[in-house]
Amino acid sequence: MLDAQHGAAPVASVRDLKVYFQTKRGIVHAVDGVSFDIRDGETLGLVGETGCGKSVTGRSFLRLLPVPPGIQAGGSVMFNGHAVCAACAGVGCGACGSTGRQAGRDSSVDLLGISSEDMRRIRGDRIAMIFQDPGKALNPTLPIGAQIAEVFFQHRTEELIALAGLPADTAGAIRRFASQSPRFGDGWLLALPGARAQRRQVEAALAKMVASALAETQVPNPVKLMARYPHELSGGMRQRVMIAQALACNPDLLIADEPTTALDVTVEARILELIRDLQQRRKTSVLYISHDLSLVRRISDRVAVMYAGRIVEIGATAEIFANPRHPYTRGLMAAAPSADTPRGKLAAIRGTVPELVDPPSACRFLGRCPHEAGACRSNDPALQVVAPGHSVACFIDHPAPSGERPTYDRVTA
Amino acid sequence: MQLRDYILRRLMVLPVLIIGVSIVVFTLTRIGGSPVGIYLSHEMTPDEVAEIEARFNLDKPVWVQYIYWIRGIAMGDFGWSGVAAAPVADVFPLKLAATMELAFASGLVALFLGIALGTYAGARRNRLPDHLTRIVAVSGASLPQFWFGILLLIIFWAHIGIAPIGRSDAAIFASIAHPTGLYTIDAILAGSPTALWDAIWHLVLPSITLGYGATAIVARMMRSALVEELQQDYVDAARAKGLAERIVLKRHARRNALVPTVTVIGLTFGFLLQGTITVEIIYRWPGLGRWMADSVLRGDQATLMTYVLFTSVLFLVVNLIVDLVYANLDRRVTLGK
Ligand SMILES: Nc1ncnc2c1ncn2[C@@H]1O[C@H](COP(=O)(O)OP(=O)(O)OP(=O)(O)O)[C@@H](O)[C@H]1O
Ligand code: SF4
Ligand SMILES: [Mg+2]
Repeated sequence: MLDAQHGAAPVASVRDLKVYFQTKRGIVHAVDGVSFDIRDGETLGLVGETGCGKSVTGRSFLRLLPVPPGIQAGGSVMFNGHAVCAACAGVGCGACGSTGRQAGRDSSVDLLGISSEDMRRIRGDRIAMIFQDPGKALNPTLPIGAQIAEVFFQHRTEELIALAGLPADTAGAIRRFASQSPRFGDGWLLALPGARAQRRQVEAALAKMVASALAETQVPNPVKLMARYPHELSGGMRQRVMIAQALACNPDLLIADEPTTALDVTVEARILELIRDLQQRRKTSVLYISHDLSLVRRISDRVAVMYAGRIVEIGATAEIFANPRHPYTRGLMAAAPSADTPRGKLAAIRGTVPELVDPPSACRFLGRCPHEAGACRSNDPALQVVAPGHSVACFIDHPAPSGERPTYDRVTA
Repeated sequence: MQLRDYILRRLMVLPVLIIGVSIVVFTLTRIGGSPVGIYLSHEMTPDEVAEIEARFNLDKPVWVQYIYWIRGIAMGDFGWSGVAAAPVADVFPLKLAATMELAFASGLVALFLGIALGTYAGARRNRLPDHLTRIVAVSGASLPQFWFGILLLIIFWAHIGIAPIGRSDAAIFASIAHPTGLYTIDAILAGSPTALWDAIWHLVLPSITLGYGATAIVARMMRSALVEELQQDYVDAARAKGLAERIVLKRHARRNALVPTVTVIGLTFGFLLQGTITVEIIYRWPGLGRWMADSVLRGDQATLMTYVLFTSVLFLVVNLIVDLVYANLDRRVTLGK
């Protein structure tokens, strides 16, 4: 195993994930045999240049890839959600640190194999996602409050009915209203005097839940915010709304796909702090995707470096930054913290990410690597442990089946 | 800007626009020749012609004639229709009701069918339903209306003989009162299922002919708008919340796709109105369109000017409505800019 040394079972285990895309140029191997674990409560940073497959990896957790052109070519994404807290049934109590979850495990499921209905139940409840551009990820035609409310409609119907002071066996149009599954004619049913009062109660309960979800992200005046439309808010505010929406149901895992790339630097710092803070209080595990190495260093417990559809190096943040092994990681580090390099551009590495159509059986960094040797041209390096909790896919650190081994001394620039 | 202020401002500009339109209408019609032509016959002497001209103030300068025209309109006098052999103001409401009933029926067909087809196709992009819808839509947009109308007429009226022609059955028409002039509404008011069925049955072929093209336009617009919206991030974000695909489609993507579609629906209205001329001629529908065609051929200027003025005002109003619906759907639209 890659990083099985850790005690508790990981919240998610990706094994040999392969996602391809059918394109005019051929089959693009966007993600080509990726394996890693996300440990319970940790933040795992996933870094790499643009186009290396970070988003495809992240979206695979929620099966948010278009199929076709996407092809699920193999592998698994095992998910071990937390069990619901036995003491409070998920409402949040002292015993579970008001997370509504306890350390025990639900049975583990393969996210790539379950039915779409099971997937739908996990989305937004056990695994949530925040997107790169909050301006585009919010629906422009719906007020903020209505958008967050949908999460509760989908996953918290029981709590909603209880909070509204209605009996748990409430059925019919009111229940359909509280679960956002209206039928034809419900509009009229809900307008009847008795039902209207109950609907008001549900709406009031809903407003309470939405407001408290928003309050978690430290927005000023959450109640007022609920009636606003996305375009009326600043980028930072929108991302807070997205975070509130994502964390509304206390997910076990949060996929954050470059959540600050579209924001300016000062806002970015505050959003990072917010994610970090919420994550630690709720013990949520986070997969934090970014192309910014210095940012990932600030926020992550462990870092996975991705290149051309593969993970080339993974390990504890401190270890990776103290002792980077893979030539690509080293290149990234040389490029990262410099004021005159535009964000996202990695000037120090020559060349660009190769076409991922029919990759040859050779190291994918070949051609850009300053250390390449004979072994790299005829063999494809796999991820191997080089130190406790630290794995690298490069022949400098482990022997190749054939050919001349590369060393750090050789520089063929 | 506040919605109410915006409506008020638009309404205040309306009279100015209408006066502008009326000047253009008047001028263009007069360029077409003297309105007296329809009353002349070969036996008349020049003196008799001059006398008629004097009676209708046609010996006065053109701008004075314009003033007379406008003054008449203000007092509800739109002139004399030579074709209908009655005052324009008396005949117009009846013909208008006939045309509106037809246009509304077609418009409803286009609106609901267009949006439904477009949504259906857009959600199944590049699959069989999408291709089938495309065939329907492309043919709808490219078949000439007169050809399609005559085709339906030949099949269902001439050959099979199930479809009626005209606007109603004479006996049934006489059996109920017609307070609104919209025969379907009249039938409902009179509580007569026979009359209602008769009115609807007469509407079917004309509104299919007229509505087909508009349906095609709306469906194509809706489809492409929906395809575009389905690729937006907020759709994935909605899925990531755990929403069922049905809700993602209806509540999120379709709502946004309606925004551009609404504009097209506004434009479609013009398309419909224009189409009434052809369709009314084909199906002998006693509406404005047919009256207008006759008036053009016979140089009946009072009728023509009223018609053009009326449709222009109608367009202004429809545009206002479209803007308001648009702003209501898309909150990013700032009214008045
Ligand atoms: N819908 C799609 N259709 C075709 N190819 C796709 C699609 N989505 C992703 N790809 C391919 O997958 C590869 C990886 O894309 P991905 O979005 O995961 O990159 P990324 O690492 O997130 O980059 P970025 O930093 O730009 O977000 C891309 O090079 C692209 O060719
Ligand atoms: S295997 Fe060879 S080419 Fe690949 S990164 Fe290591 S040294 Fe460079
Ligand atoms: Mg990405």
